[in-house]
Amino acid sequence: MSDRGVQVSDDADLVRKAQAGDLAAFEDLVRRHQRGLFSYLYRMCRNTSDAEEMAQAAMVKAWEKLGSFRGAASFKTWLYRIGTNLCLNLRTRRRPTEELSEALTAPDSDRPEVAFQQRKREEAVRRALGCLPDDQRAALVLSVYNDMSYKEIAETLGKTVRAVDSLLFRAKTNVRAALAEDRAKGVI
Amino acid sequence: MNCGQVKRLLPPFIDEELQGGVRDEIDSHLASCPTCRSEKEELEADMGLLEQVGTPEVSPFLVTRVMADIRERRSANADLRSRTFGVRRLAFGVSLARLVGGVAAALVVAVSIGAGVLFGSGFAQASVPSAENSTEEAVSYVESSAADLYALMVGGD
Repeated sequence: MSDRGVQVSDDADLVRKAQAGDLAAFEDLVRRHQRGLFSYLYRMCRNTSDAEEMAQAAMVKAWEKLGSFRGAASFKTWLYRIGTNLCLNLRTRRRPTEELSEALTAPDSDRPEVAFQQRKREEAVRRALGCLPDDQRAALVLSVYNDMSYKEIAETLGKTVRAVDSLLFRAKTNVRAALAEDRAKGVI
Repeated sequence: MNCGQVKRLLPPFIDEELQGGVRDEIDSHLASCPTCRSEKEELEADMGLLEQVGTPEVSPFLVTRVMADIRERRSANADLRSRTFGVRRLAFGVSLARLVGGVAAALVVAVSIGAGVLFGSGFAQASVPSAENSTEEAVSYVESSAADLYALMVGGD
């Protein structure tokens, strides 16, 4: 069984315990998924504090709705789906907050030129992702950064695998076009 | 398979989402087509660029905050359930008291009526006209008894 399979199996066990009222089991689920969920929501919200707020809200809502979780999908995709809905609701209520230019890689004081180029590449990627419609960005982020299969992405976004394939094709085409534009301008 | 078809299938091919037959066809096309091979390499390089962008570290307090929020809601719900149960018990007590009061009142009324019929209003104890009484006395007796009975039924004096 793959690591992914083992985790799903462990999740199912923890979910059963949590459904019986075991708060410690739910805490294990939160610990297991917090980083991935935050990473996904950060790229969707484009803002650290919104991403943390959404991740917390999604996990609390998952606890509240745990009784209705029947295990047709994995806990992970169910949790991410809650996060996706919260994030999209937030985005319709508010204008998208422009992401702060956070330096995600540690500055290399010995080679400032390399650090500068890296920073420019990161900004170009963020711009390219930021131009995508929500559904394309969600599919691409889940694929590239969360290492989800097309089936898992389909469960998370409530779409068919074929629709996810189409979303990813368009997302990759659009991102590549945006990056090509930056390359032509000499930005990256 | 032509170049257009291969280009469309490159993303799921790179993501290892394609099954045996189709995958083999693309593999053999790429082996013989430098244009599609170059397209594949560029796509992989661009996706690699995306992967280089990291994510800020998640707050070390996120789990603590989530669990504190859940515990708080859980305790608030338990408190609400307890209060709701108290209100329900009170409402049940009031309903029971009303029911018992109603039944008691009905019993009192029934006993009173029974007692009235048997012993009250002089109806049972009225002097019965004797055989030697006149017809007027008999008529007067019947009329007064009828009036007593009517008063008893309608609750008047």
